[in-house]
Amino acid sequence: MKTTRTLAAVLTTAVLMLTACSGESSDDGDGVKDTTAAKGLPIVGENLKYDPNTLVNDGNPIHLDWWAWGNIPQMQAFADAYQKIHPNVDITVVNQPWEDYWTKLPLQLQGSKGPAIFNVHNSEHDNIIKYMAPYDVPLDQLTADYINVQPHVIDGKVYYIDLGLMSGAIYYNKDMWAKAGLTDADIPETWDQFREVAKKLTVRDGSKLKQAGFNFNASFSAFQSGMAYQLGQNMFAADGKTPTVDNPANLQVIQRFLQMYADGSGSKDFGTEATTSFGQGQTAMVYAWGWYEGTLRNDFPKIKFGVFRTPVPTAGTTPYAFDRYNGESTLGINKNAPADQQAAAQDFLKFYLTDKTNMKALNLSYGVFPAYKPLADDPDIKADPALQAYGDIERYIWPGTIPSTFEDNFTKMWQDILYNKVDPAKALAAAQQKITTDLAGKNFQSAEQSYAAYAPSN
Amino acid sequence: MRLRITAICLNVGLLVIAAVTIFPFVWMLLSSFKHADEIAAVDQHLLPRVWTLANYRSIQEHFDVVRLFGNSLLLAVVITAIAVYTSLLGGYVFGKYRFRGRGLLFSVVLATTMIPWAVVLIPRYTMFTDAGLQDSYASIIIPAAISSFGIFMMRQSMDNVPDEILEAARIDGASELYIFHRIVAPLSVNAISALAIFQFLWVWEDYLWPYLMITTPSKQVLAVGLTTFSGQYSTDYGGLFAATTVSIIPVVIVYVIFQRRFVAGAASAAVKG
Repeated sequence: MKTTRTLAAVLTTAVLMLTACSGESSDDGDGVKDTTAAKGLPIVGENLKYDPNTLVNDGNPIHLDWWAWGNIPQMQAFADAYQKIHPNVDITVVNQPWEDYWTKLPLQLQGSKGPAIFNVHNSEHDNIIKYMAPYDVPLDQLTADYINVQPHVIDGKVYYIDLGLMSGAIYYNKDMWAKAGLTDADIPETWDQFREVAKKLTVRDGSKLKQAGFNFNASFSAFQSGMAYQLGQNMFAADGKTPTVDNPANLQVIQRFLQMYADGSGSKDFGTEATTSFGQGQTAMVYAWGWYEGTLRNDFPKIKFGVFRTPVPTAGTTPYAFDRYNGESTLGINKNAPADQQAAAQDFLKFYLTDKTNMKALNLSYGVFPAYKPLADDPDIKADPALQAYGDIERYIWPGTIPSTFEDNFTKMWQDILYNKVDPAKALAAAQQKITTDLAGKNFQSAEQSYAAYAPSN
Repeated sequence: MRLRITAICLNVGLLVIAAVTIFPFVWMLLSSFKHADEIAAVDQHLLPRVWTLANYRSIQEHFDVVRLFGNSLLLAVVITAIAVYTSLLGGYVFGKYRFRGRGLLFSVVLATTMIPWAVVLIPRYTMFTDAGLQDSYASIIIPAAISSFGIFMMRQSMDNVPDEILEAARIDGASELYIFHRIVAPLSVNAISALAIFQFLWVWEDYLWPYLMITTPSKQVLAVGLTTFSGQYSTDYGGLFAATTVSIIPVVIVYVIFQRRFVAGAASAAVKG
């Protein structure tokens, strides 16, 4: 009898839970009504303007969910600032795990209960574009205010753009730099100078490597897919579809990096992951993208680091492009969300795209150079070590969202060269063949031709 | 003498295996008190050089740990109770009743364990969403309420329940429900304990389905909260270790409560008498 009673109690609890938890969540936010359109606030923005002196949703309460996978405090700051102007709009920033965000988001966007606003990563373009509403902003104003809008235009509309641009640079350990007797004047401009500096930063105990001057282990695809641009070599032929991997420029990049290990400035067996080895204080210089600045600050706070622009082949000359870049994207709007939510989201979008203060904070937290032009000369942006290192951002090239076959095969190519003693020329040819096979039949179109200084290469 | 040496060797071997199994947990526990740079340092030490509670304090910055912990606990207890009950019921029917199609029906139940979970994920998602159950705990509880593995396990354990006792109870006028609750259930306590531990662990660890179904952050489960420590570019290992340490507390408690019966229960399900 006691068992039956216990089971009955458990089942009753379950039924109550089902009932209690199955209710629809309210869309009415916190229920505040806004009655004042003329708030006396200034209109903000350079070309694209945002006028806060309006009523959103006729001043009636409305709730918007905003899904994001990171940088939550910076997203929340946008939401808080907007809600201060429009107290009837309740925006909840929901932190999602990066890995499965891309499984859940497309499923959720199929119905009408998906988030009205969500963060976008351009690598998932094909996965989500069919659920996105076009931006309700004048394209000419957006283009005037933001870098690199044009490659994102689809049939005269944009669904997201870049909020910032991320690329590679050289991170160096300031303590090791000083200990080697180097000063700011020794920051290398060319790869030949870099090679000599790497030698000076290398520390050995007899034949044993104690400190690598330069380490590029496990960073292979990051630099291999960008350094050939310095030599005038695009990743794709003029048709924008044919991959161009097996060429003298890529071979030269490989030889250049191998030379530094041949010098003894680093080793394939020392610090098997360059960025971790740098954080652990084993390595003096690494090539890394902008995200690494945040990693160093969070995970390796004791490392004093500086950042300088990736060296170029020839002193005093601007190469075809310094490197490849990729963008962190602005938010997306769910086209299946209810009409009132979409309208409120479009208003929030204009605020988001013109809010200099919070856009700057977001750029700094991502470690990306602002795509919002009014921020280009901002003192805080200029003071950021990683961002100031890029130099002329207009001389970086965006090849589009690169298919993963490049990363996979550049990594395999370097592993074959370093660990399996495969001849670099043969490894490069194999990578070309595999990438060509993988891209066959795919509807990929490079964005290289949107680069202002574009010149076709074979 | 020879037996004694064999026993010593066996025990030493088991101790080594136990140490290898336990070491990562001990390492995780102690690392949860280390700073990030010490966790990633080249020179690793088991004990933190500088002890810190910062990782535990930072959990709350990622998610409402108390709330999510409570959600997970509630779901795990309710689902375990329901699944164990339905499994025992199913196992009893398949093990002790004779009816036409019993073998076929049992084969169908077993066959459901062989369908890869990923295959049913999208159809199940559509089904529950269309039924308006998204963002409710019903969507988590209903699919887990019937466990084919549990039915199989209980069916195997029914061999430990003598038919003679059941017959005697029927002759004395006991109803079928009375027999089930007052005779079969108490005699199956080892198997129930083993299944309860398995079931509790599965629910406690379950991540993707709750993540897909629950959209309100305050209703989310702890396993989903833990994943927020892994970002696009890096992982906050200190915070992750601290949150994981907190999350395994109920699992340890459940195991401690049921451990005496766990081995016997698992063995009874594995061996057909």
